[in-house]
Order: sequence, then structure tokens, then C-alpha cells
Amino acid sequence: MTQPETYVLPEQWSEELKDENGEPMSKSEFKRRQKANRVAAEKAEKEAAKAAKAAAAPPKPAKEDGPALEDDSNEITDPTAYFENRVKWINAKKAKGVNPYPHKFHVTMQLPEFVEKYGSLEAGQQLTDVTVSVAGRIHSKRASGAKLLFYDLKADGKKIQVMADARNSDLDLEGFTVAHNEAKRGDIVGVVGFPGKSKKGELSIFPKKFELLSPCLHMPPTAHFGLKDQETRYRQRYLDLITNNDVRTIFQTRARVIQFVRRFLDNRGFLEVETPMMNMIPGGAAARPFMTHHNDLDMKLYMRIAPELYLKQLVIGGLERVYEIGRQFRNEGIDMTHNPEFTTCEFYQAYADYKDLLDMTEQMLSQMVYDIKGSYKIQYHPDGPEKAPIEIDFTPPWRRISMVSGLEEALKTKLPADLESEETRLFLADLCAKHNVNCPAPQTTARLLDKLVGEFLESQCINPTFICDHPQLMSPLAKWHRELPGMTERFELFINTREHCNAYTELNDPLKQRDLFQDQAKAKSAGDDEAMFIDETFCTALEYGLPPTGGWGLGVDRMTMLLTDTNNIKEVLLFPAMKPDETGGKKDAAESS
Amino acid sequence: MLLRPERMLGRRCGLAASRRAPGWVIRAQSSATDTPAAAPAPTPAPAETPAAAANGDKPAKPAKKEGKPKGEGKGKPDKSKPVEDVRGVRLRKVEDLRTQGQDPYAYRFDRTHLTAKLQEQHAALAPGAEEPSAGEVAVAGRIVAKRVMGKLAFLSLRDDSGQIQLYVERTALDEAQAGGFDLVKNLVDVGDIAGARGSLKRTEKGELSVVVNRIEVLTKSLQPLPDKWHGLSDVEKRYRQRYLDLIMAAEVRDTFRSRSRIVSTIRRQLEDRGFLEVDTPVLEAVAGGADARPFRTFHNSLGRDFTLRIATELHLKRLVVGGFERVFELGRIFRNEGVSTRHNPEFTSVEVYQAYADYTDMMALTEDLVRECCKAVHGGGTQITYQGVDLDLGQPFKRATMADLVKEACGLDLEAQMAAAHGEDAEARAQRLVTARAEAEAALMAYPEKEVRKNIAKVRVAPSLGHLLNVMFEALAEAGLQQPTFVLEHPVEISPLAKPHRARPWVTERFELFIYGREHANAFSELTDPVEQRARFEEQVARHNAAFQKRKQEREEAAAAGTPQAQNEDDEDAYEVAVDYDFITALEYGMPPSGGLGIGVDRLVMLLTDAASIRDVIAFPLMKG
Repeated sequence: MTQPETYVLPEQWSEELKDENGEPMSKSEFKRRQKANRVAAEKAEKEAAKAAKAAAAPPKPAKEDGPALEDDSNEITDPTAYFENRVKWINAKKAKGVNPYPHKFHVTMQLPEFVEKYGSLEAGQQLTDVTVSVAGRIHSKRASGAKLLFYDLKADGKKIQVMADARNSDLDLEGFTVAHNEAKRGDIVGVVGFPGKSKKGELSIFPKKFELLSPCLHMPPTAHFGLKDQETRYRQRYLDLITNNDVRTIFQTRARVIQFVRRFLDNRGFLEVETPMMNMIPGGAAARPFMTHHNDLDMKLYMRIAPELYLKQLVIGGLERVYEIGRQFRNEGIDMTHNPEFTTCEFYQAYADYKDLLDMTEQMLSQMVYDIKGSYKIQYHPDGPEKAPIEIDFTPPWRRISMVSGLEEALKTKLPADLESEETRLFLADLCAKHNVNCPAPQTTARLLDKLVGEFLESQCINPTFICDHPQLMSPLAKWHRELPGMTERFELFINTREHCNAYTELNDPLKQRDLFQDQAKAKSAGDDEAMFIDETFCTALEYGLPPTGGWGLGVDRMTMLLTDTNNIKEVLLFPAMKPDETGGKKDAAESS
Repeated sequence: MLLRPERMLGRRCGLAASRRAPGWVIRAQSSATDTPAAAPAPTPAPAETPAAAANGDKPAKPAKKEGKPKGEGKGKPDKSKPVEDVRGVRLRKVEDLRTQGQDPYAYRFDRTHLTAKLQEQHAALAPGAEEPSAGEVAVAGRIVAKRVMGKLAFLSLRDDSGQIQLYVERTALDEAQAGGFDLVKNLVDVGDIAGARGSLKRTEKGELSVVVNRIEVLTKSLQPLPDKWHGLSDVEKRYRQRYLDLIMAAEVRDTFRSRSRIVSTIRRQLEDRGFLEVDTPVLEAVAGGADARPFRTFHNSLGRDFTLRIATELHLKRLVVGGFERVFELGRIFRNEGVSTRHNPEFTSVEVYQAYADYTDMMALTEDLVRECCKAVHGGGTQITYQGVDLDLGQPFKRATMADLVKEACGLDLEAQMAAAHGEDAEARAQRLVTARAEAEAALMAYPEKEVRKNIAKVRVAPSLGHLLNVMFEALAEAGLQQPTFVLEHPVEISPLAKPHRARPWVTERFELFIYGREHANAFSELTDPVEQRARFEEQVARHNAAFQKRKQEREEAAAAGTPQAQNEDDEDAYEVAVDYDFITALEYGMPPSGGLGIGVDRLVMLLTDAASIRDVIAFPLMKG
């Protein structure tokens, strides 16, 4: 590739001014470039001066009019130049035998503790006889004269000011200037000094020592403009976390959600277990699995879509209360509520049924909401922060709707009694057509019902609502209802129209289970590729006797979305799955060469 | 095969005498209870238990023939047929229960007590005494033994916590529950899940019992429990049907309880120190953070290949860059490698990262975590026995550099060589390597053991002094590290993610914890310099992929020439790898000086539960098709 001729920016802007590609240049662009040029020139000058000075050893005694302190306003504005400049700087350090990446900095106090301990000092008060050692990332840097600098230092979600005064430093003025001119916005630094407050009342540390621990080679996003671009936020989550403090809070809340579930179950005598994520047969749910291959055993394996069948085997084995919190994998499209890998909690409790679980669900989730939000009622923005919020009320007890009678009521019609019949299937297909509910082929009774329920029941569930008693043909792992023929003892919990929990009295009759699996196999061969596989191992296990058991599943990501007021699952996953970034790797490779 | 019964008996006796709580003895050991003949019966009774076969499963005609299949099948029992028959009989009982208005698959049961609680609360009750104050209790669990003697029946019921005897008297039961005794006699089998209510007493023989006034089958079992479990020559069956293993063997249940306790101890210890637990992806674009063959998969709607993570390291470090100064992830890792007693394709690790800490801080943390886990499963004790070797986890762990261990073993001072080579040019270094290899080979030749000598081939091709040191360590020192030892300061060449040592830059600030000659933890002062990290990655990837290309070519040539493929015994390079440039970009934004630590959870559980194989600590290990 031929290099374009070097473009020279004229002194003055005019209407006819063209850029290096022959495109007209706006006045603001001209000004931007002018400033960049000026800054770069100043920088180069300074570098040259510094280099000259370094060459002219031995060091001279400090002078009153030594080099000026640099701050954010001297920053190079061209990202590539910025990066190259800093790489040059660290390479120069290394050449001199100085490690720009020190091995250890002893931190005596993390910032949250610093803020808590010294936040109540008076303005102007300084505890000069106290020495603390803190570390964090510089978010801004302002010079004030030749001897004073202010930094904003952030760590662990807290911010303090570093008020670097040459008079407090262990270094002479020249050393002070050099040390502080090396530190840039974005760098990780360690500070040893005393706590206090500035005259304006800003909580500060007054450093004696100031050490650069890890330079930031790229220009960090500015505090002013922040980092809003979604793609960048997800792909470079660390930048998102550095820039946007509330993102950090989301993941702390996520950890609390999981912790709450774990404690709740631990306190009730449940045992946490781990079951395989790779199986010969993907069982326990209806979904398309990921496939992989084990080379050594030359074996095709599926990533799990649910841990259900393994957990029930453990209950058969006599572990009467078990749970697993872990990753599930579904080879499905990505949207606002779906990521190919996601986290669930499933628990199984022997001798309990779905009624016990209804109460337990209410208890667990309402307490969780209260624990994290301090109230049963939360504000939630289902359509993003710009649109109006809704209130979701978790105060128990929650509404319970029996599915078929609920649907009959909503549609003001009576469904045929025999749900298995062809007549019912046609009836439902007509209903869908009549109400403009789209159900893609194959139009099985289960799928038709699912669409109608989604349209007429789920959409009504803003506050937590249990939809109960699903037909057997939608629930191949649930036990038949003891009172409603054709139905099962099952519920799903809907909040903000989305499913959050799914639970049932477990089907433990092995003959019935085998029949239902065979129906699924038929549906599968009829084209429903979300129908379940037959798991012979599981059927055999059931023949050894599964005690009456209630089983339960929670979507951890969705629950976290509710409690962090986010409406996109990507916001609660640290590294959500993204489309391939064609430029990503190559761009970085080019950057370095 | 013929030895099986004796050996099995021996195992069982040993177990009965062990420290297990009395409530936990398995059916065949219940000789102390009122069920006189429940111990292993002389009749092999291939599939059904002797007790159950004699009492319940054959109410109808073929009872005699079926119940005592004397003689036949003495050696290897005919497996399929009797099981089929028992299943048939039990299926009929399912129907019988239904016709009697009893649901063979009940919906729920309200139990008042776990059996261990009852055993504990009424430990002081004297033999022959009743406990009127307890009132009515309700228990539920699996029937693991049954004996009918005229108008009396004794059943052993086991739940999650322990075991208790059900004392069933015909007159008393029939009075409260019409036909109750016949139900017990004819329709309740060993293996069934049952619920029983009644009052408490201790029998003359000293067994705490529920005097049953109401009993129901909650889940009818169709398959009989195996009679002989420990003696099963087919160990695979234990893993394939883990639920049977759990039902039959108390120590298996204990192992998984211990596993859970270890995992929660790790979690609690880290949370108490302010670490945040996070979830990072299993599906990755580039598998990094370790050197292992990854699993590959394909996402349909993104039309994109993914690899399953082989470590959590690179994502967790991104979070440290992002300002989470203390993070950990406890989760599943996947490696597409052979299956052995120490390797399962998916396993659990915990990785921990702490900003402003270094590898010495990580040593302290590792020691704390291992010791606390040990205490959690050994009642506060720190002295354990693993596979017959006494191990002391209470003392401060020994520390020794890798080079010193090799020097100690064979006199070879490779650290001096590496130090000398540090300033030298490429040619001098190459010459030094040739000499060092020759010395190392001579040192290995001094050993008669084949296990040691087989490393000579690796010595000859060691690409650097660092690699050579590692080979010598594995050959001579590793296996001897029985007591907990931190092996320190691995060479740079084999530690692509560790920071060079601050004083001796040819080695890194790294350690591995060895116990019983096995690696249990791996930690370093993390490499935070993006320039050096990029260079190390690119060098590593280039070396790996060159080997891969060479091998691929060899294989293609061999295939073209029609020569039979030599079985590649060291096929670890047989996949391509790539540099994770996104990770390097993250480092360029500045990662604070940090210490990182990884612990293999499965191996720790093995160590603390005295399990010989990783398959004993994974509930459902991967089995061949």
C-alpha cells in the first residue's frame, strides 16, 4: 500500500478547505486538528527537551522554574499517537532497567474503608501523623501551578482526591515533577500519604510517595462523554466497569441474588451438587442443544440444557434435598432475554409437592426482593430507562391462575375436555387464527396452547403471578394432577410477563414417564425439534423408586434483571455472547506493529 | 470371579467396624438389629434380595421356585431373567395397591422427624422401654431391609440423615389400619419408598423403633436393590448408576456431602475476605489461559464456532482491569483430553485474583483455604491419611524452588545455568543448552527405574533450559513431594502468564502446591506487562502451531504413502491455537499488580475424602459410550 502524501493543515480555515481525501472540512474539525497539532508539537518539544536533559547527566539541582506539571489538558488527542507514545515510554523505562510494572504495592486500606473512616473530617483538617497506603485508577488530573496537582482516584466503586503537593513529597521538586508527569489519566497508581480534607472539603490523601503501578497505554474514555456505545461496553466490559459505576453495582447485585438463593436453600438442609454439563443425551428440557466431540473417546456429546434428570437421580440415591446453581446451554437465537449460556438454580425436595413449592417460591423471592431493595415494591423500566417505569409488587401472597380455566375465561369459550384429541387441536388452531395468534408449524396441541397462553395469560402478569396446572401434553416430566384430569401439578411464575420459575410435582411413575417420552419422540419425528429426547438411563433410575418429590427451577439472569432494573440480559452477563468481531483481533494486531 | 464373595465380605466387615454412625449401616450389616438373617445370605439369589424374595415379591404361585434358586447361578448369576420376573411381580403389586385404593406413587408425605434426629433425641431410652412423651412421629425413606416373622415384621427405613427400625405388630397395625399387616407382608418390598407413623420404643435388643400404626407405600420400586454392591466387579456400574451407589454405600453419600462442604468452605472463606463471586463465559471465541486441547462447538444462529473454556483466567483478569479488585469464579472447566483416574473432561476449579497482592500473598491464602477445607470435613482436624500415606496439613507448608529440588535430587544446578545464560547471546545459550542436556541425560541414566529413564527422550528435545528444568523436576522430584510443598519459581519458558521474578528474571514468581506427589494449586504474581505478554503469547502460539503443522504434514504424508499411522502417544499439539488479542488490549488499559491462584476442586476433594479416583468425587463422571 502506498502511503498518502503528508497532509499539511493550513493556518486559517476557509470554506474551500479540503482534507487529505479531498472532502470538505468543517470549521470544528479544523479546530480539532489545529489543537491536536499544537498539543502534539508541544509534546514533541517537551519530549525532546526531556531527552536532552536525560542525556545531559548528571542531574542538575532543581530549579524554581523547572518543567511545568502536565495534566489532562496536555493530553495527546490522537489515539494511535497516544498509544505509541506510551509504549515508547515504557520501552525506554525498560531499557534503563526500570520495571514499569512493579511486582507489589502494599495497600493498607481499600478506598471504601478510607471513605468510611475519614469521610467525616472537617474541611481543611489533615491527619499528618497518620500514614495510609491506597491504590486505584486515576480518573482525572489537574495541575495548579508548578507544585500542586489534584487527581481523582477511584477503586472499588469509591472515589477520593489525591492532593499532590511538592512540599509533602519525599522527592525534590524536579523528581516530583518528573514522577507526576509520567502519570496519566487511566493509570493505576499507589499512594502513601496522610488523610485529610482540602479547604473545599474534598476528602483527600496527601501523598509522600506516589508510584505508578500499571500505565494505561490507551486513551481512556473521558469522564465527560463516558462510554455509551453498547457494542464497546459488552465487548470491552473492563472499560465499561472503569467508566460506569452503576455497571459495577449490577454485578454486585447479581452476586447477592445467587448468594441469597444459596443461603435460603442451605438453611433448609439442601445439599449443593454439581452434575455434568456434557451429556450423551440432552435431557430435562425442550430446547436445541449444542453439540461437541470428545476426541480421545471419539464420542459425540451435547451441552446440557437442564440438570433435571441428574438431580432426580441423586434424589433416588437418597440425597433428599439437592440443588445446583450453574450454567445451561441452548443453541438458540440471541435477543433481549436469551443468551446461549445462562444460569439457573434447580432444587429438588423429597416428600414435597408443587403446593409446598408455591409457598416456598413466594417466600424466597419476596424475601430476596425485600433484602436487596428494602421494599416489596420495585420500580422497573421494561422498555429501557427512557420510557416510563412500572411498579412490580412482590408482597405475598401472589395471584394463582389455573391455566386452562384461566384461558377459557380470557377467551370466553370452553375448550374440549379431551386435550389429546385431534378435535381439540383443530379447535385451538381455529382459536389462534381467530385471534391473530401466530403459531409456526408444526401446530401441535402443546404449541398452540403455549401461544394462546402467552398471548392471553402471560401478557397480563406484571406482578408475580403463578400460572398453574399445565396440561400433561405440555409437561412431560410433571406428575398428573390429582384432581384435574389431563392436567399436571405444575406452575410457572410470571413477573413482568416473563417466565421466571418453573416447578412441579415430579413425575415418578416410570411407566408413565416412558410413555410421555415416547410421545415426545413422536413429536420430534413430526418436526418439533424442541421436543425431548428419550433418556433410557433416567427411566431405569425411576424404576428404583423416586420418592414423591417437588422440583423447581429459577432463571437467575432474569431475576437479576428485575432487581437491577435492566431490560437486556446482556446487562447482567459480564461477557455476553456477541456476533464475531471481524475487525477486533486484527485491529489490535495492527495497532501494535 | 470366584473370589468375589470373600473379598466382598471382608470389605463389608471392615466397613461395619469403621467410624460410620450406627444409623448409617447399610442393609447387609444390620445384624445388630432385630432382623436376624439380613446379613449376606448363603444363597446367591442373583437379583432380588434374599429377605425380600422370601417374603414379599412372590405372593402367588412361583414363590418357592423363585425365592430359593439354590445351586444355579452360583458363580455368575443369570442377570436378566430373574430381574424381569421381579419387575413383573412388582408391576402387579402396583396394580394391587391401586385396586386397594392406595396410590403407588403418592404425592407428598408430612414427616415430623429425620431418623438421625430421633436417634439423637432418644439415645438415652433404655432397651425394652417405650417413649410415651414423644407422641406420634412420622418418618419416610427407603425400606432397606425387611423381615416377617409370624405376627411381627421388622423393616429398616433409611432417609437422608440415617436409619431407624419399623416395628410392625399385626394386631396393633390392623387395628389402626385395616389390612395394614398384609400390606406390609405382601406389597412392601425392600427398595420401596415408604412413610410410617407411630410411637417410639427401644426393643430388647436395643434398637430404637417406630411402633407402626400407619404405613403407606409412597413410591413402589420396580427394580430390586442389588444385593452385593461393594463386591461388584463392574466398577463402571457404580458410576453409571450412581443412584444405586448412593443407596448402597454410606461412604459414597459421605463423599458427596464432603464435596459440598469443601466447595462452600472455599466460597465462604473467599467471601469473608471481600472477594466477589462472578460468572464468566464457558463459550469462548479463543480458548486461553492454559495449554490444553479445547472442545469445539457451533452456534447455529450466530453461525459461529465456539470453544469451551479451558481456564477462567483471562476473563477474570479483564475484571481486575475493570476495577473488581478481588474476584473469584468457582466453576466448570473443559479439556478435550483422555479420561483417567485423575482426569475427567469436565472438572471444577476455583480461580482467585487479588489486586495489589503477589505470589507470597497467594501462598498464605492457599494454605488457609486448604487447611480450612480439611477442618470442615475432618471435624477440625488437620492430620489426614490419603491412600495409606499420613499427611500433615496443619504445619506451615514446605517451600522449595524447583531448581533446588532438582539439585537436591541429582546434583545438577540448572538455576546457575539459567542465570549464566541470562545475559548471553543466542549462540552461547544454545551451546549451554546442549551441554546441560547431556549432563541431565547422564544424571537420569544413573537411575535404574524405567519411569525415570523414560524422560531421557524429553531431555533430548527440551527447547530451553527452562523446559529442561521442568522435565528434570517431573522426572526426579515431583513424585517425592508427599507432604504439602510449595514448589517455587518456575522458569519463564513454561509460565507464559506469570511475572518474571523481581530479583532473578529467568524464573517467575510462581508456585505450585504439591501434596501426595500431585499438583493441587497453581499461582503467580500475574504478568501485567502487555508488551511482554504479547511477545510470550505469540512465541508460544508460533511454537505450538509449527508443531501442529509439522505433525499434520507427517500424518498426511504417511496417509498418502499408505503406511499405517503410528499411534501418536504425545498428541498434545494436535490442534491449532490462537492469541487472545482482546485480552492483550485489556492489559494495555492497565492491570494493577495482582496475585492469582487456581485450585483444582476435584483433586482437593479426592485428597480430603481419601478417594483414589476422580470418578469417586464426581457424581456422574463421563463414561465411554
